[in-house]
Amino acid sequence: MKTLNKISLNSALEIFASYAPLYVPAGNETFSGFVRYSTGLEVRLDKNTKLGPKSLLFPRVENLYSYSNHGKDTEISPVPKEIEPTIIFGVRSCDLQAIVCLDDVFLSQTSRGGINDYNYRIRRGNAIIVALGCLEADGDCFCQSMGVDPSEHEQADLQLFDLGESFGVESHTAKGLNLSRLLENSGLLAEKKVAKPRPASFALTVDAQGITHKLQKMFDHSLWDELGAKCLNCGVCTYVCPACHCFDISVCAKDGCNGSTIRHWDSCMFSQYTEMAGGHNPRPGKKEKVRQRFLHKLRYFPERYGKFLCTGCGRCVALCPVNLDITEVIRRVKEAEIDG
Amino acid sequence: MANSLDPAATADDVKRINALLPVKAKILRITQETPDVKLFSISTLDEQLPFPVSPGQLVMLSVFGMGEAIFAASAGENCLEVAVKRVGILTEALHEAKAGQTMGIRGPYGNGFSLDIFQGRNLLFIAGGIGLAPVRSLIKHVLNHRKDFGHLQLIGGFRSPKDLVFKRELTEIWPVSEDFDVAITVDKAEEDWRGHVGYVPDLVKKLKPQLDETACILCGPPVMLKNTFNVLEELAFSPENIYTTLEMRMKCGIGQCGRCNIGSCYVCLDGPVFSLAQLRALPDEY
Repeated sequence: MKTLNKISLNSALEIFASYAPLYVPAGNETFSGFVRYSTGLEVRLDKNTKLGPKSLLFPRVENLYSYSNHGKDTEISPVPKEIEPTIIFGVRSCDLQAIVCLDDVFLSQTSRGGINDYNYRIRRGNAIIVALGCLEADGDCFCQSMGVDPSEHEQADLQLFDLGESFGVESHTAKGLNLSRLLENSGLLAEKKVAKPRPASFALTVDAQGITHKLQKMFDHSLWDELGAKCLNCGVCTYVCPACHCFDISVCAKDGCNGSTIRHWDSCMFSQYTEMAGGHNPRPGKKEKVRQRFLHKLRYFPERYGKFLCTGCGRCVALCPVNLDITEVIRRVKEAEIDG
Repeated sequence: MANSLDPAATADDVKRINALLPVKAKILRITQETPDVKLFSISTLDEQLPFPVSPGQLVMLSVFGMGEAIFAASAGENCLEVAVKRVGILTEALHEAKAGQTMGIRGPYGNGFSLDIFQGRNLLFIAGGIGLAPVRSLIKHVLNHRKDFGHLQLIGGFRSPKDLVFKRELTEIWPVSEDFDVAITVDKAEEDWRGHVGYVPDLVKKLKPQLDETACILCGPPVMLKNTFNVLEELAFSPENIYTTLEMRMKCGIGQCGRCNIGSCYVCLDGPVFSLAQLRALPDEY
């Protein structure tokens, strides 16, 4: 396997950054996320970031088009999108699996119809993903339980393995090979006979086998009353989730005549999410909202796209103010008694 | 550049480029249907049909600076007709708009009624209030292809006599159309009202529509739908022969914004037309 000595990490990042805009994990104990690399920035690879890389492909807020009203007429102009390649460095398997889920939604990789999302398609097509395998699980991580391999992900363009003193480097795609060659040409890569490291065992595990099937019979189960009573509908779970994809489209008016139409993240936890003009709301209460969130992740998404919409990153487990832990929900569902 | 829009771009071009961008359209005509419902005829800027829609399909209308909302649309000759009840911010802005104003339109979204399933059969239409709009687009299609369908019956319910939408069609055109029975009920009558008084499910029960070779098409508020489903099943209609079209809050129209799902179905993509048999297999959440 090709290896990159950790001492040369900064040189490697400089090379990447001169090839394309580079985003790396950075921050502190309180907050960390993927930020644009510049010389001197301290890269944080000890554990996963508080916020995943989702916003680089699906921004928290983005302009769809601007409008300008003149009397009865209006001009609309789409906001041009940058189409330069972007390198996202240090993506963990859970967050990469979440990107695969977003691909399903926004690139409509399903026989059940839909249309490619223009902005997502451009960003995704130009993203080069450098993944970093995990050796140790954080206390809230449970990706293995959700069918994700923490040590590597096949959808990475370039996969890094933590070998202690160095990173193992393996390219999966032409884009990844390009990056690997840049390092090689600068003499940063060596060839070593090493085995791929295997991650240590996880503190948090849950048996999610058969959960989708079981949930198909549990829409009216009393469990949702209990969980709904506990939830505050604060929405932090959906905000930090690397796979939650719901969005709203709103108007951001500059003045009476000019402004833009924006797309921004939304949450199924919020009261107006499904409220219709006139007041009817198919999911009016906390019970219905909580049920929707868990069923979407564990039943509806698997039914539609054949995979969980939870990748076990553990962020919602860590941040929920009332400890509404999805692994606990899965356990309760597995234990629940149902008729028939 | 693939992402710059030619002013002459058609709806299809726009959809290929960016499905969330509306095309510019204009309000060709506005008809005041009832005190709180207006019918908007929407055409391209050069007064052509913005895009074809089939009965039951949806379109997203935007008032620039106010927002967007989803509506059932019916294809006219050179325009799309959209009936809008004034209930919220966007519909209020639409009601304030004048003929000639530029607006945005995108779509069509969803699957309309499967017209071939109805071919050769008797049709029972049941509509509550503004729910008559999508039903009307199907009725218009049926009347344009009258020989392809059997006996027609419409049961319509409205809050009061002044809330009758598409009044001329309801009271003057359809009742004198070939083999077409029309019954109208109002929740609350006024002195000169001579028709039925009461709710739709009760009138359906009373009229006992014929079952043979009949498909039933319903649209209305959820409470009317659910109660009428029960009455139809009591009358021995099978869930496979009962169709409805649902509306949900929608933002994208293409199965991505997340909110219009019933179970794993998105109303915008997999609906808005569902048979009762299909709905019964989904969670009761609409």
